[in-house]
Amino acid sequence: MIEKKQQIFNKLGLHARAAAKLSHLANMFSADIYLIFNEDKVNAKSLLGILTLAASVGNEIILQAAGADEKEAIQAIGDLFDRKFDEEI
Amino acid sequence: MRRITGKAVSPGIAMGRALLHNTTRQEILAEPISPRAVERETWRLENAVKKSRAQLKKIHLGLQKVMGKDAAFIIEAQQMLLTDSQLLNEIKGAISAKLVKAEWAIRLVERHYQEIFRSIPDLTFKSKGNDVSDVLNRLIANLRRAPATKPAAGALAGAPPGQYVLVADDISPSEAATLMSNRRLLGLVLNKGGETSHTAILARTLGIPAILDTGNATELIASGDTVALDSVAGEVIVQPTPDAALEIGRKIEQFGQYREQLKALSQLPELTRDRHPFHLYANIELPFESEVVQSFGAKGIGLFRTEFLYLDSKMSISEEEQCLIYKKIAQNVYPHPLVIRTYDLGRDKSDPTRPRREDNPSLGLMAVRLFLKEREPFKVQIKAVLRANASGNIRILFPMVTEIEEVRAIREIMAEARRELQRAGTLPKKDVKVGIMLEIPAAVRLIRHLGDDVDFFSVGSNDLIQYLLAVDRNNADVAHLYSPFHPAFVHILKEIRQEVDRAGKEVTVCGEMAGQRLPALMLLGLGFTCFSMNALAIAEIKRVFTRVDLARLRRIVARLDRLGSRSEIEELLRTEIDRAYPGLLQG
Repeated sequence: MIEKKQQIFNKLGLHARAAAKLSHLANMFSADIYLIFNEDKVNAKSLLGILTLAASVGNEIILQAAGADEKEAIQAIGDLFDRKFDEEI
Repeated sequence: MRRITGKAVSPGIAMGRALLHNTTRQEILAEPISPRAVERETWRLENAVKKSRAQLKKIHLGLQKVMGKDAAFIIEAQQMLLTDSQLLNEIKGAISAKLVKAEWAIRLVERHYQEIFRSIPDLTFKSKGNDVSDVLNRLIANLRRAPATKPAAGALAGAPPGQYVLVADDISPSEAATLMSNRRLLGLVLNKGGETSHTAILARTLGIPAILDTGNATELIASGDTVALDSVAGEVIVQPTPDAALEIGRKIEQFGQYREQLKALSQLPELTRDRHPFHLYANIELPFESEVVQSFGAKGIGLFRTEFLYLDSKMSISEEEQCLIYKKIAQNVYPHPLVIRTYDLGRDKSDPTRPRREDNPSLGLMAVRLFLKEREPFKVQIKAVLRANASGNIRILFPMVTEIEEVRAIREIMAEARRELQRAGTLPKKDVKVGIMLEIPAAVRLIRHLGDDVDFFSVGSNDLIQYLLAVDRNNADVAHLYSPFHPAFVHILKEIRQEVDRAGKEVTVCGEMAGQRLPALMLLGLGFTCFSMNALAIAEIKRVFTRVDLARLRRIVARLDRLGSRSEIEELLRTEIDRAYPGLLQG
């Protein structure tokens, strides 16, 4: 299992569109992937779960993955966060 | 027979059978099941999920056609929730752990999520609870529907074929779009709603008569009742007597003829009787409206309000998405202009983007002030507009400017945006013309100083009147003071015309008065020639303008100078125009 601290850079935080992109990406990996924020832990493959976090810009969350492709998963998801979910240029 | 009054937001007259759209929640009881039934309930749930997915897919496609990809995202997100294994596993878990039917298990899960979302302070996230409930209610509806019935198509689902007058408490914009796009809607009656709601705008654009804000229409009308909508009288007649029905029938016929005449008119050249040119443009808010404005006689789009794009996407619309929308609209109206107004947000109390409260929002951080404080999102919109201008007919318009420093700051951001696009190789050769709104009196005084920085002006008469007279026209206690005939306002209009001429620029009037006969005639007499208005008003304004002589109008308007009260001004205009052109202002 690996973990990574991740800051949220996009202005709107993990709102519907970003959450949709995130869960879509997470579903491409076989590893179990979780987001941890404020003592809540949700499945990154669930749009609904991500929305309930209500994580906003500036918040720091923890990405956690366990499984064969955990490294790639954390890399790709971290990258999506860093790219601000392709929302702003 | 019974009459219900409301706000007529979309003109037209219609009569037909009522269909009550029940938006109240379905009553569900906790029915216990035996452990053996768990498998059956799980199977029922899975079937309902399949059905719901198919329905949402259909709605999504239909919606995308009428409203575009962005507005359709509401439904797309709901589709995704249904493929979310977490949600489905929780429902299944509730069935087997609590030994209850699928319907009740769904309610339990819904309750759980409602609690979570309710506790979130951020409004954007909080509202997502509604989407979850929507989806779960759809599941319940599908669980309860007899297996033989066809998939639902919104509120008209299950209704026998034919056209209906839909009666409901309120409907969401996505529901409205779904309903109105399938041509089975004769008319719409709602308890709630308002003139500026998107339901109203959609109804107007698609020519569906609608009476909103009736308060309790759903209690007074039953499904199957014959109802007549008369938007001219602003009323709904329930179970009309044979005489009343005959009268309505006559009105429907008259209205149809009138519409035909107006359509014919829209083909006439834009010249007054004494051959002076004028130009009529449409105001739009939803991208798809650009596809219909020309059939109403509009030569182009004088005002594209972009607020809806932002609000609808919860402020997350990207440069790419915007660029595609602008490009498409520009192509739709080519070679006529498309004027894109950058988002004018921050004043409305219900505006979700401003959770911070201001004592005085209309004197606060809004529109251009907001951009200059948060430049990045603003630059995204500017870049989208610049990039979209491949056809060369796009112009950009900035709202709520009060000083020259703001114009210069905007120019700087535009230059920056151009440089960035140039580097990326995506800057079209054709540059966009830049305009500012004249809607705060201070801006009118700046016209002469803006010669080098601004290519055109646009009078936002609604706000200009409000800021000049210190009147909020939505405040019922002072709304009577709001008038386009106030002498101070007439004077400021004259000043605008003179100053813009002196600066050698163009000016368009795009407030509500541009689409109203008497105020529009006054504007024409004052020398204004470009008008932008709700598409439905265009044909009527054209009828009036093509029948008058500019020279005569000028003489009438010149006499307004001597009058010091709004009632005198309105009275003189009305009497003199009526004398010169009998019947022009009637009908």
